[in-house]
Amino acid sequence: MRGLGRLVLAAVLLFLIGPFIIICLAGLSAGETLAFPPQGLSLRWVARVFEVQSFRSAFWLSIWLGFGATLGALLLGIPAAYALERYDVPGRQVVRNIVSAPIVVPGLIVGLALLRHLVIPAGIPVTLALFIGHTALLVPYAVRIVSASLQNLRVDMEEAAVLLGASRAGAFFRVVLPNIRNGIVAAFIIGFVTSFNQVPVSLFLSGPGVSTLPIDMMFYMEFNYDPSIAALSGLLALMSFAIVLVAERLLGLSRYV
Amino acid sequence: MFERRGIGLALMLPATVFIAFGFILPVLILLAGSVQVGGAWSLGHFVEFFSSPLNRDVFWRTFRLGLLVTGVSAVLGYAVALAIVDSSPSAKGRLVGLIVLPLMISPVARTYAWVVILGRTGFLNVALTGIGLTDEPIRILFTETAVFIGLIQLFFPLMVLPLVSALENLPADVVPAARVLGASWFTIFRKIILPLTREGLVVGGTLVFVGSLTAYVTPAILGGSRVLMLETLLYQRVAVANDYASASVIAVILIVMSIATSVLLKRLATARGER
Repeated sequence: MRGLGRLVLAAVLLFLIGPFIIICLAGLSAGETLAFPPQGLSLRWVARVFEVQSFRSAFWLSIWLGFGATLGALLLGIPAAYALERYDVPGRQVVRNIVSAPIVVPGLIVGLALLRHLVIPAGIPVTLALFIGHTALLVPYAVRIVSASLQNLRVDMEEAAVLLGASRAGAFFRVVLPNIRNGIVAAFIIGFVTSFNQVPVSLFLSGPGVSTLPIDMMFYMEFNYDPSIAALSGLLALMSFAIVLVAERLLGLSRYV
Repeated sequence: MFERRGIGLALMLPATVFIAFGFILPVLILLAGSVQVGGAWSLGHFVEFFSSPLNRDVFWRTFRLGLLVTGVSAVLGYAVALAIVDSSPSAKGRLVGLIVLPLMISPVARTYAWVVILGRTGFLNVALTGIGLTDEPIRILFTETAVFIGLIQLFFPLMVLPLVSALENLPADVVPAARVLGASWFTIFRKIILPLTREGLVVGGTLVFVGSLTAYVTPAILGGSRVLMLETLLYQRVAVANDYASASVIAVILIVMSIATSVLLKRLATARGER
């Protein structure tokens, strides 16, 4: 039985990872159309990715959106998680349900709802709606990860600090925050990657000129069959790989996923 | 725990208000649109939606693919999780890392890789015609099979991770004890491993099933307009036909199905656990 298990494991890993190797190679093709095995190796399509104007602007929008939404989710989520873990407030369960609501609603519906019932009636700019949608999406992650970190931190530490004369806020900033730092960093990385890769929430909120990178890729591949999307996909895969590697080295990210 | 409730409330307020007004309210207004026809309450949109054979097809396809992806992920998931738990501690960390890695990579990149593999001039067809198994390239892209393959790759890790942690929490000597007493491998799995890891299975199963129901990118790229799922149908109804009534009906179906699955499976796990 053990041998069979190993075999299945190897096959599954090949199935999970193999496509990324293939897409990296397809992106290095010298040919005009998408093909694997590649027709000769060259960096021309990799170079082309950096020349396409819409990819460039979409990339920067995705980067800023990822940082902004993650920061927003943490600024909202850390105090909420702290209150949920440390204060005996009536209606705690209701608040917990409200802040985890974004998990149960499919992203496409969120995007459509924001477009129809926020952007259009309230005249909110799309970029702000993108920010609201992405932040809402990330709040549940932020609350959950920070809550888990707080549960691992003994309450006595704060109480000791307060008994020794620190204020509540002082104890929070000087004792609690440094101790849950790893959880916050993990939440930041997971939040950024989630926002950066997000498609459904952004789909309805994108248009010409305002589009995140994955959305722009999807629009581009509808009308083009050249290897540039393969090259860009390969670059994104390598970027995620680098982020995971660094995060794993820094704080053992797999414990938080 | 701490006495001053006012501070606690104040700390929760920003997140609660933001989610309530920036998220829940717009979604509720959208959902309300499904039960209103011309300003009056009515289930007319639902009747209309399900009277179309195309829509019914899409509904059942979504449900069927969700079940299939969950079932296959569960079977493969146990095999993989058992093999991982069985390996040395240093290899274990690396294997879990490899399983998790795809989760961090853009779903668009992940799915596009399958276009390169499954397309008409893709890797698989080149290989198949190369060895002479077929003369004509076979159509895999834009079929349910392609969507199924893409969904498995996307959601399989979400099944394995909870199973690995459930298996690690098994009491160390129950399996060897059963083996000493002469139980077959299948009996051990059915009578010991399955009941004791049921919670992990339910967590993974919920994530995979709900994920498959509500996936957008994979069906859009690998299924196109031939293999519509509920989410791709929703997008099409709005983007192509400006049909918000159908869109809100699909939204209600998806949300109800997701919540029902989560609640039902959670019930199932705890009910069995109490025995």
